[in-house]
Amino acid sequence: MSIEIKNLNVHIKENHILKNVNLTLPEKQITCVIGPSGCGKSTLLRTLNRLIDSTEGVRLEGEVLVDGQDIISSGAEITELRRKIGLVSQRPCPLPMSIFDNVAYGCRINKMFKKRRQLIYHVQKNLKAVGLLDEIKGRMRTPAARLSIGQQQRLCLARSLAVRPEYILADEATSALDPISSKTVEDLFVSLKDQYSIIMVTHTLRQALRIADNVVFMYLGQVIETGSANQVFNHPQQELTQKYLSGAFS
Amino acid sequence: MRNKTRIVKDKLAQGIMLTITVLAILLVAVIAVGLYLKSKPVLEESSLWTLLFSSEWRPMKGAFGFLPFIMGTVWVTLLSILIALPISLLTAIYLTEYAQPMVRKFVFPALDILAALPSVIYGVWGVLVIVPFISRHLAPHFVDFSTGYTVLAAGIVLGVMVIPLLVSLFIEIFSAVPTDLREASLALGATRWQTAKKVVLRKTVSGIIASTVLAVSRALGETIAVLMVCGCVIGIPKGVLDACYPIPALIANNYGEMLSMPFYESALMFAALILFVIVLLFNLFSRIILYRLEKSEM
Repeated sequence: MSIEIKNLNVHIKENHILKNVNLTLPEKQITCVIGPSGCGKSTLLRTLNRLIDSTEGVRLEGEVLVDGQDIISSGAEITELRRKIGLVSQRPCPLPMSIFDNVAYGCRINKMFKKRRQLIYHVQKNLKAVGLLDEIKGRMRTPAARLSIGQQQRLCLARSLAVRPEYILADEATSALDPISSKTVEDLFVSLKDQYSIIMVTHTLRQALRIADNVVFMYLGQVIETGSANQVFNHPQQELTQKYLSGAFS
Repeated sequence: MRNKTRIVKDKLAQGIMLTITVLAILLVAVIAVGLYLKSKPVLEESSLWTLLFSSEWRPMKGAFGFLPFIMGTVWVTLLSILIALPISLLTAIYLTEYAQPMVRKFVFPALDILAALPSVIYGVWGVLVIVPFISRHLAPHFVDFSTGYTVLAAGIVLGVMVIPLLVSLFIEIFSAVPTDLREASLALGATRWQTAKKVVLRKTVSGIIASTVLAVSRALGETIAVLMVCGCVIGIPKGVLDACYPIPALIANNYGEMLSMPFYESALMFAALILFVIVLLFNLFSRIILYRLEKSEM
């Protein structure tokens, strides 16, 4: 089970955002997508779960094979695809409901459980997986907005995990958090990589250095270099990658 | 020196604006007191209970029972909101969640035009289209005879009038829901309809209530369009195919005429006072609901 991207081009109105992207994202590993602002990292991520569709004037060309099935073709089942590919966005975005209902939301819309008891157990299991269960004991029914920002982000991760995805997309998931929360979420991703394939967009090179198994370096909509973290960080092949890593531009 | 002038100007502007604001609020109080003073004669003549809950309306004999008018107002307002609310909600959901930008570009100005149409035009449309339709095609299935001038006609006309206002307000509210929130739901595999129903509507409950209150307040006071199609028959409506006589229609039809009758003017002012109090209580009640709702969400 992997994601294979072939000749992907994304246009938004007159702008050519992603240019001929070819990539294979390996499974059960953390792949960090790095690059300067506006290089197309987030667009790439939003294409993988087709959230890009809501952007006005978007046009997709090429193939994105998820488990061998092209998700760009018109017959692709988008809702099932999105269930399979979880998303943790830059800012935590709890739904306007209780902590419990936030995690249960995806399970309910995907009709995952018949019995309420099973749902409660599943919600608790996922809250435990992100280390929230003990922190919010007795507050399951309080609005999720009352949690701290760091807790909200972990709740969003629990919400994504609850629908049993195979992939997790993280779009600068720690950039809005304080250093301690950021570390907690980062550790969580590392602990989850045995079970999920994680594709993480990050602005922080040090973060990519800490957690990445694979690195994709993008510049102006193109994939410049890709490989294992060791290879890209220690022996970059491309001049642009070397310049970026040395801080010549950001 | 220049700095001093700026500060004086700032203070002056603040003072003027404060005065105008206080005057605007005072005006409401002045209207309330004025209505009360004008209603005093009829209030001294009959008990408040009789005025509010009696159905006997014989101005010549000094019997002023407002129940038929109150019930007429309640029936028409409720029906209009029942018609307008689901239509407006679904229209606004379609326009914000589904429609292409091109569709929005055409529909938004059309809504503004509909909202700006004078109410008499809606009234004429009611008389020409709705009333004959009810009389010829709808009512014969349920009653022996109906002129078509009914609670239903008034409810439909008023509902249609309120729709553009409600849709505009709902669009404003739904558009304010952050895209991130919608995407959080979609990313879990929800459809757009599930997202609209469970996230957008849920997030905007207090806004929906506040907008509906505004629409109901408008519907309560709407006069001309309703007056043209309601039938203006004094009596408590027993169903939507009965004629009715809402309070604004009563005042508009009779004020200025037959004021030679003792207490008649005072009775009409009391009718206005009832309307005033209904709107006031309704707004107060919904404020309390909103306050509780917002508190529980925080």
